[in-house]
Amino acid sequence: MSVTLNHYLFASGILFAIGFSGVLLRRNILTIFMCLELMLNAANLSLVAFSRFNVSPTGLPNYNAQILVFFIITVAAAEVAVGLAIIVSLFRARQTTHVEDVNSLKF
Amino acid sequence: MPHIFAPLTLEIIVLILGVFLLLAESLAKSGDRSWMGRWGVAVLAIVFGWSFFTTGDSGSVFYSADSTALFFKRIALLSTIGILVMALEFQTVLQRFIPGDGKGSGTGEFFALPVFTCAGLMFMASAIDFLLIFVALELSTISFYILVAYMRRQNASLEAGVKYLILGALGTGFLVYGITWVFGLTGETQLARIAQALPLQLAPGGRLHGSETAILFAVGLLLVALGFKVAAAPFQLWVPDVYQGAPTPVTAFLSVGSKAAGFIVLLRVLEPFVSQPVLGPKLVGILNVLAILSLAYGSLAALPQDNLKRLLAYSSIGHAGYLLVSLASLNPAAPDFAGATRTIGFYLVGYLLMTLLAFLVLTIVSSQSRGDDIAHFNGLSKRSPFLAFAMVVAMASLAGIPLTVGFYGKFMVFSAAVAAQKFLLVGIGIVSVAAGFYFYFRVIAAMFWREPGEQSPVVVSGLSKLAVATLVAGILLLGIFPGPVLNSIKVRNEPATASLR
Repeated sequence: MSVTLNHYLFASGILFAIGFSGVLLRRNILTIFMCLELMLNAANLSLVAFSRFNVSPTGLPNYNAQILVFFIITVAAAEVAVGLAIIVSLFRARQTTHVEDVNSLKF
Repeated sequence: MPHIFAPLTLEIIVLILGVFLLLAESLAKSGDRSWMGRWGVAVLAIVFGWSFFTTGDSGSVFYSADSTALFFKRIALLSTIGILVMALEFQTVLQRFIPGDGKGSGTGEFFALPVFTCAGLMFMASAIDFLLIFVALELSTISFYILVAYMRRQNASLEAGVKYLILGALGTGFLVYGITWVFGLTGETQLARIAQALPLQLAPGGRLHGSETAILFAVGLLLVALGFKVAAAPFQLWVPDVYQGAPTPVTAFLSVGSKAAGFIVLLRVLEPFVSQPVLGPKLVGILNVLAILSLAYGSLAALPQDNLKRLLAYSSIGHAGYLLVSLASLNPAAPDFAGATRTIGFYLVGYLLMTLLAFLVLTIVSSQSRGDDIAHFNGLSKRSPFLAFAMVVAMASLAGIPLTVGFYGKFMVFSAAVAAQKFLLVGIGIVSVAAGFYFYFRVIAAMFWREPGEQSPVVVSGLSKLAVATLVAGILLLGIFPGPVLNSIKVRNEPATASLR
């Protein structure tokens, strides 16, 4: 059995769902942040798959998507750099990375 | 042939300014950093003037230089200028909540980062390819993460920063996944090419014939992401907390800049999809639901608020609702995107003026009364009649009193909705306007009919006085003579399809 586009899309859909449910269900901010990265990587996987299977008449894959993947990886790295810094300063101030302890702003 | 009046020059100058400010900050002696803010204001004002002389086409498939893009760039520039003026006023508060020894230490980046955000917003205004949309959106969002969490000795700011980080990154996730699916389905990342290819692909025998649901799913993911950006319900969860916790100038920037750039991207992204007969009605239906939810949530949840920043946060959700009404009034059979762009553009100019004014007065008053509840505005008419008058103008315009720019914006939105016979939207809109009268007028009542908590007059610096006076004049003048601004967005040089090459 050869691996088709659908297999990749299915895997990427599962990754995205795992990431999204992790964001909704987990209570540790670091875990939530990892789940967010998982969502981005799910998108990367399906982008590469779409690119590989979207063969143009000239026989080449559509490379636009693969370039986009590099941009996503770079931007995600920048986001992690800033995000972890914010989480570290939250931990310094509050000694916790648990979402339930971060609730001073309420109605 | 690139020349100094090429469209891209604007962004390049803004980016150079940002880098220059950061470098100069690290090389300068420690001490007061307000010179950075003044430099920023001056250069951005020059760029704003420059934007009236740019000519020519961008010659790029990523970047459009049509008049709409220029118009939204001017909104970004003006709001950044306003934010820098506010940041100058905010320095004393900022200083209290960041670690550092001596006056001005650690405050430098607070003046440099808004410039980068501005560049991101300007690129968003011009982006016609999903690649540039994504990178520009992230440039502004990542700068915002830092700005929101800037006061790291204050729990509220840090908490707001973490919440914005998580929900903003979630929005990014949805955006990227949406882009993925749009690319996978249409095989293109350029909006113009998508607009060209979609009708053929959707026709019988085309590769997308019968898979409308998949396209709706993809566009739905994009709508979630942009809904986060423009603070539309039901993606508004972050708004109240982040607005309340963030430093006040950043809150103003979030509510004006982020919303304006979000809407131009929304307009450009929706255009190819809404124009398809099989997708249009469903997408307009979704926009309808978003508009109703934002209007209802924004106006009802604002009623019991005592904190002015939180109140303005709910008001920002409500205004996203009004703006969405004009999108939901599009006729799917023949969507008039030029008309919607015009309504949204004018509304956003009005929103820019009144929101900046409200936040500027709030910044001045709260840095001298040490708090941003409505109670801190008690008796402001005695402490500073000038600021009290400015706040009355801002609130009246936000509520939509005739002769202010807010009224004319709402009038345009509602007349579009009536023309499209969306009477449910109009009804809910009128109810939320009525609710708005109540909560905006609570602020006015506090200023005039309550005794002040402290008697000391509120001191206003020269630059802020100038900014407040300009904003008041702008609100009143545009409320009476909306023509000049309306005309500047009337012509949309070319539809996105024409810039195909």
